[in-house]
Amino acid sequence: MKLEGFPRSVTLRDGTLLTVRPTKGGDQAALLAFYREMPQEDRLFLKDDVTTEPWADRFIRRIERNEALSLVAETDGRIVAEATLYRPQHGWSAHVGELRVAVARSHRRKGLATALAGMLVKLATDQGADKIVVEVVENQVPALRTFAKLGFQQEAVLRGHVRDIRGARRDLLVLSNDVSHIWAAMEALVADSSPEVH
Amino acid sequence: MAKTEIRIGGLGGQGVILCGMIIGKAAAIYDGKHATLIQAFGPEARGSACSAQVTVADQVIGYPYVKQPDVLVLMSQDAYAQFGPTLKPGGRLLYEEELVKVDQKLPAGALTFGIPATRFAEELGRRLVLNIVMAGFFTGVTGLVSTEAMEKAVKASVPKGTEDLNMRALRKGLEFGQSVAAKGN
Repeated sequence: MKLEGFPRSVTLRDGTLLTVRPTKGGDQAALLAFYREMPQEDRLFLKDDVTTEPWADRFIRRIERNEALSLVAETDGRIVAEATLYRPQHGWSAHVGELRVAVARSHRRKGLATALAGMLVKLATDQGADKIVVEVVENQVPALRTFAKLGFQQEAVLRGHVRDIRGARRDLLVLSNDVSHIWAAMEALVADSSPEVH
Repeated sequence: MAKTEIRIGGLGGQGVILCGMIIGKAAAIYDGKHATLIQAFGPEARGSACSAQVTVADQVIGYPYVKQPDVLVLMSQDAYAQFGPTLKPGGRLLYEEELVKVDQKLPAGALTFGIPATRFAEELGRRLVLNIVMAGFFTGVTGLVSTEAMEKAVKASVPKGTEDLNMRALRKGLEFGQSVAAKGN
């Protein structure tokens, strides 16, 4: 699905200017470079080994099959952040999107994750998602703050669910953002019913 | 423009009334014309016949009911069966081409313009914006209201947070309408 309104320029809090655009076929090498540069500790929270070529190919195929909405932020042709919202195409949770955001250490704490996540929440909502979830480890305080700003709330805690690089077990928090109310208002508006009927 | 009578017909849940309201609002509030809206619902909201009568004029409108529309905007076969024959000879029929089959029963000289609006709405992400695609199509084909006025009317009429998609839906219908109108019916 072609995403409208991209590429888009984003100015970070420190004045850095980045370009945000949809992830596309041919981005595999740049994505691998981005993830291979990321410290292993930062990659632990990802569900896949994002440093391998088969992963990169599978990821692009998922985007091409509309199973994922994905954006990358670039500077000088180099990817410095990637954000993806996975959307199941069938089944009982087809209305739920799962969000993941990864930002290079050099570009953190500048509002980039908030900007990317915000864009994806908007895109997903427009494309039919009613609920968006994201998993955050308990000690990822900046991420928790970012998602809280975007309207996410803690919905579940999976105790000792993840093990960090030192082997310590930590809680995994499932945050969710129920965005169904946005389009519920539109649905009421197109109901073509007389107010007196209700 | 003396007076243009428009009827929008479809099923409850397709946003027929909102479509009419947006056209009227664009004409009256943002284009500085006069407009009236009459709405008719079936006994149930969703799935029952539903129509809106919109009159747009440069002068004050003395009689708001539409008997023989200059423009028909139809989104269901039932609406076509009911309102198709009432179209003014030489009038324009704008219809959702995957939901309405046009036959030979239209008045003489009728111009017909079809659009796969439901498919467009689904491709944009939400079937719910079908009526806004149709509103854009109306604008592109007829030019009765300005694009700017329609954009303002849509923004002012849809819920917060849905503006972007609704604007894309409007533009989709508008561009399709302009291309269809340029080719002729």
